[in-house]
Amino acid sequence: MGTILFELALTFYFAGFLLSLAEIIRKKQELDKAIFVLSVSGFILHSFYLILRYLKSGQAPIFSMHEANSFFAWSILLISFFIYATYKAKILKFIVILTFSFMFLSAFFPRHIPSIKPELKSLLIDIHAIMAVFGVALLTVAFIFSTLYLIQERAIKAKKLGGLEKIIPNLEILDKINYRLIFLGFPIFTVAIIVGLIKYLTLLGFLLDPKEIWSYLTWTVYLSIFYLRVKRNWRKKRAAYLTVFAFLMILFGFFGINLLTESFHKRL
Amino acid sequence: MSLSVVGINHKTAPVEIRERLAFSKTETIKEGLKYLIDKAKFNEAFILSTCNRVEVYTYKTTFSNLEEEKETMEQLIKNFLSDFHKIELKEFVNYLYVYKEREAVEHLFKVTSSLDSMIIGEPQITGQVKEAYEIALSERSTSLILNHLLDKALFTAKRVRRETLIGENPVSVSYATVGLIKKVFDELQKKSVLLVGAGEMSELAMKHLTESGIKEIYVTNRTLQRAEELAKLFNGKAIPFEKLKEQLTKTDIVICSTAASTYVIDEKMLKEVMFLRKYKPIFLIDMSVPRNIDPTCNNIDNIYLYNIDDLQNVVDSNILKRRKEAEKALEIVYEEVDKFFQWLNSLSTVPTIVSLRNKAEQIRKEEFEKFKSKFKNLSPEFLNSVDYLTQSIVNKLMHKPTVALKNGDMREILILATRRLFGLDNEEE
Repeated sequence: MGTILFELALTFYFAGFLLSLAEIIRKKQELDKAIFVLSVSGFILHSFYLILRYLKSGQAPIFSMHEANSFFAWSILLISFFIYATYKAKILKFIVILTFSFMFLSAFFPRHIPSIKPELKSLLIDIHAIMAVFGVALLTVAFIFSTLYLIQERAIKAKKLGGLEKIIPNLEILDKINYRLIFLGFPIFTVAIIVGLIKYLTLLGFLLDPKEIWSYLTWTVYLSIFYLRVKRNWRKKRAAYLTVFAFLMILFGFFGINLLTESFHKRL
Repeated sequence: MSLSVVGINHKTAPVEIRERLAFSKTETIKEGLKYLIDKAKFNEAFILSTCNRVEVYTYKTTFSNLEEEKETMEQLIKNFLSDFHKIELKEFVNYLYVYKEREAVEHLFKVTSSLDSMIIGEPQITGQVKEAYEIALSERSTSLILNHLLDKALFTAKRVRRETLIGENPVSVSYATVGLIKKVFDELQKKSVLLVGAGEMSELAMKHLTESGIKEIYVTNRTLQRAEELAKLFNGKAIPFEKLKEQLTKTDIVICSTAASTYVIDEKMLKEVMFLRKYKPIFLIDMSVPRNIDPTCNNIDNIYLYNIDDLQNVVDSNILKRRKEAEKALEIVYEEVDKFFQWLNSLSTVPTIVSLRNKAEQIRKEEFEKFKSKFKNLSPEFLNSVDYLTQSIVNKLMHKPTVALKNGDMREILILATRRLFGLDNEEE
């Protein structure tokens, strides 16, 4: 049952992905409705899949690479639905591409339910993991908005129109949503890191591994973005560049470290 | 058959001629259509009159394919224009164009799809054709052929709009300006605009901006009196010229068009302004020649500066894009013209024979049922004989017309005549 739900969701995302690519290549916003319907359908099936997995294992469906990728794909889509409902910003096509990519990736990892050491099985760990992935999802969507902002800004500044800028929303809304996403994502990410740190210290004492160190580094970059934006009303373009940079750090933390090094998270 | 159009447009005739031949009111069009049907004896007629064109489409059933007959049709329309508008024929005859048959269909499809417009792709013409069609319908001056022709023309226009990018990019400077501004700002109704000086182009841009919802408008000018005049015109507030810099710190959009020979707004000024406005984005449009805003200002973060040439470039490239799209659109037009002629040919034999026979059979059945319910005590054998009798009468009656229709000689005329005589196209009668 679970597998079917996953494959079906993946299929809907794939269809949405194809239509999104078509829109971006043709630079014409005419498939938005179909993309919306497809991604909502995929999302509903995907949600059932996650719930089913949770009921089966009794732990948040987030601890293996398969689970983390799929939960992440689900989160960014959820966030973009909220954005669409609140701001009517037509960005779903960009998100769906990412959602499908992560979902596709997720399909390649082993799907068995990961066994966690009994001393780690706790609500706190669930909260840590969910908040970490969801926080990162918020920051990822912020990254997409920053990228779109930079593309749009460049097109208008360089006076080279007729390209992608036609299907990208206006600069003001891009910046506004980017700001709110970081405003929301950063605290969640922070809580996740603090909870993780507490748990880590109580379990292993003070011993840092690459994933943790990298997370703290990433966190500091976000702290600076957060500070500069909230406190200083920083120039929008620079904020966008920094968000892109911070996201690349996240990406490396998510994949690079997990795959390259022998970290504590991997040993779970 | 004979389908023809006689007309003038912005390419062939100056406005002085166009306005004299125009049918400016619904009533005049109706009178014109009446003239064409009643006096000139056309079977069907349609008049399209806009500020850029006057075109008279007519359809007449001809009994041969003789060129002379077509010549007379053309002459009839020309005489109609001259007679109706009380202008000597020789005054305008050289401006006219005439298309017949396939060319006429092609022309109407192009016109309706806005491929023949002054600004290619402008959407108004489709609506104007629709209105003219409605007038013709209310006057009952169109029927089988022109109705189908106009339906298909509107359908083609719809396809062109849907399948090409012909209406996508603005091709006037003032629209392009508003489009650009909307790429930077989100809710225009919450934004403010400052007009520095005034010119024709900037006034037009202001008009489009207010149409897009901008309410907060400021106007400044070297002379305060002129500023106040302009402010009144746009429902805005006049600002003394000395306060320009101060105003720049709180305005989102600036349209500059003064007669000054040097920069009115320079880089140093804008750098200070940007600092004061905490780098909130500002969109500056310099419509003046020589330029009034230092072009290097575009290098400052969150300043978007477009001058008149930049805007013209945007428009030019959009026009170029539309031309390219127009080529695609032409293919659609040719496709639809083909389809129209296919339909015209299918008006032909088979469907007409089928509906003729159906009609006859329907009448026979109805009458037979009436007969049966009237004389209830007749024996079944007798009724069978009556049934047989009526059937053979209908068959005999239908035989000759069927053969004639199948024969192909003067087919179209016969088909139309059959359809008309037996009321095959209007079921309600």
